[in-house]
Amino acid sequence: MSADVGRSAIPSAESASPGRAVRRQAIAIPVGGGKGGVGKTFLVANLATALARAGYRVVAADADLEGANLHTCVGVPDPGPSLADFVARRSTDIRELLVDTPIPNLRILAATHGSFGAPQPGQAERVRLMRQLRELDADFVLVDLGAGTHPAVVDYFMIGEAGIVVITPEPTSIENAYSFLRAAFYHRLELAMLSHHVREVVALAMDERNERGIRTPLDLLREVRALDPEEGARFVETMRAFRPRLVVNEARTAEDVKLGFSVRSVCRKFFGIEAEYLGYVNHDEAARRSVRSRRPVVESNPGSDAAIYLERVARKLVAGLGRADPPAEGSS
Amino acid sequence: MKPLFEQDHYEVLEVPRDTGPDGIERAYRLILSTYGEDSLATYSMVRGADSAAIRERVETAYRVLSDAESRRSYDSSLGGGRPSPDVEFDETPEIAMEPPKTSSEPFDDLDEAGDYDGARLRRARLRRGLDLDEIARRTKVSSNYLACLEDERFADLPPRVYVRGFVMAFAACLGLDAVSVAESYMRRYDAERPRQRRRFSRGT
Repeated sequence: MSADVGRSAIPSAESASPGRAVRRQAIAIPVGGGKGGVGKTFLVANLATALARAGYRVVAADADLEGANLHTCVGVPDPGPSLADFVARRSTDIRELLVDTPIPNLRILAATHGSFGAPQPGQAERVRLMRQLRELDADFVLVDLGAGTHPAVVDYFMIGEAGIVVITPEPTSIENAYSFLRAAFYHRLELAMLSHHVREVVALAMDERNERGIRTPLDLLREVRALDPEEGARFVETMRAFRPRLVVNEARTAEDVKLGFSVRSVCRKFFGIEAEYLGYVNHDEAARRSVRSRRPVVESNPGSDAAIYLERVARKLVAGLGRADPPAEGSS
Repeated sequence: MKPLFEQDHYEVLEVPRDTGPDGIERAYRLILSTYGEDSLATYSMVRGADSAAIRERVETAYRVLSDAESRRSYDSSLGGGRPSPDVEFDETPEIAMEPPKTSSEPFDDLDEAGDYDGARLRRARLRRGLDLDEIARRTKVSSNYLACLEDERFADLPPRVYVRGFVMAFAACLGLDAVSVAESYMRRYDAERPRQRRRFSRGT
């Protein structure tokens, strides 16, 4: 099936979404991971570029007002308009804030801001932002999340069903990734549950040291089922719909490559969550150099090891979304 | 979604019920490394006694499923032969975990064109989840030399005829077509080797 060569093997925009004239929502892909420095921005910049190079219209949005640097990774030193204008209400329409990049088909919503005292978006603003992002006239909207598991970060993970969690082969990254997944899932659950009483239990479970001994979603499910079987059914539904995708970055050894399968197994066994192992990106000096030259490695050095892996991740992502995105009209 | 200790042996090993012996073996090794003593994936999730209990559970599942006789009787005790609707393991362990086959079928290396350089050999190896030590064990070529092949440190390798043999063994171990991989690799070697030698002699 993938007998084509190299990057051209990402299904082109034309073949994957015929009849683009019909208005539809962009596919939003949040990219998080809990820990800082695992390569979220690197991944967003490169996946967005790979998709843009395949002919998709892509927007990469930086949701990290604290550590905005996506613009730098795609070669836009000074983006001008940014998410900060939206938060400060200088603009209410994010379409006005998109900036072109040197890469055809790729625009960004930067998160640079001039003043350090700039406010963080509140929950209502985040909801408004996410709605506008989904409604952008684009095929894909990738959202680069900040570090941590604060609601202000985790909220963005709900913008699409198939968010990506980036991990590196380090205990700190893995630990934070589990916390992130747990927080993201519970957050989603809280919104899905209707009964006030059940929501209280979910809120309680969000504290990892809760006195009820609820440590994992599976423990919580038992509690919820006992309280209210109907909510239990909704719980399972939410669980099934939540299918995070894993990417291992900075892989050096075969053990590192297998880590994705292991984390998937832990998600399955302890969380009851089906994660998909999207792929891995190896440790490559070319990647480091690309960051320094402020150009995505898939564009500046497409023959490099890292670029080949990134292209593969992009391909798998598109293939998976082709199946997992029923509302898109061009279900090929 | 069932807690681990309510799962049947297939669910524990995360394989569909029609998985062959090779698949069982592979899944067992993967799960074992996932829940092993110093596993990166579980250290913050599972502690001490818990992880021992999981390993115990995995060992039991493997013991039953790896023996044709005991597997048959276990299967009939499960009844129906269909996994419970609660489990939806639609994917078997993926290509990346594919062990080297004896045939020369090149898996999904199809998505790459061009010469077999060191980096491509490494990609092919990693995709199969194999460490250099494992390749060294199977091919009897030292992992040091294998690393030189991947890094294309030609000056650190023995004479050409050995290099060719190493590449053939490496490729065969990955289930690749040894002759064409060697041909492709040696083209690079021949083009690059004189340059590396010059650099080497100038440097010393």
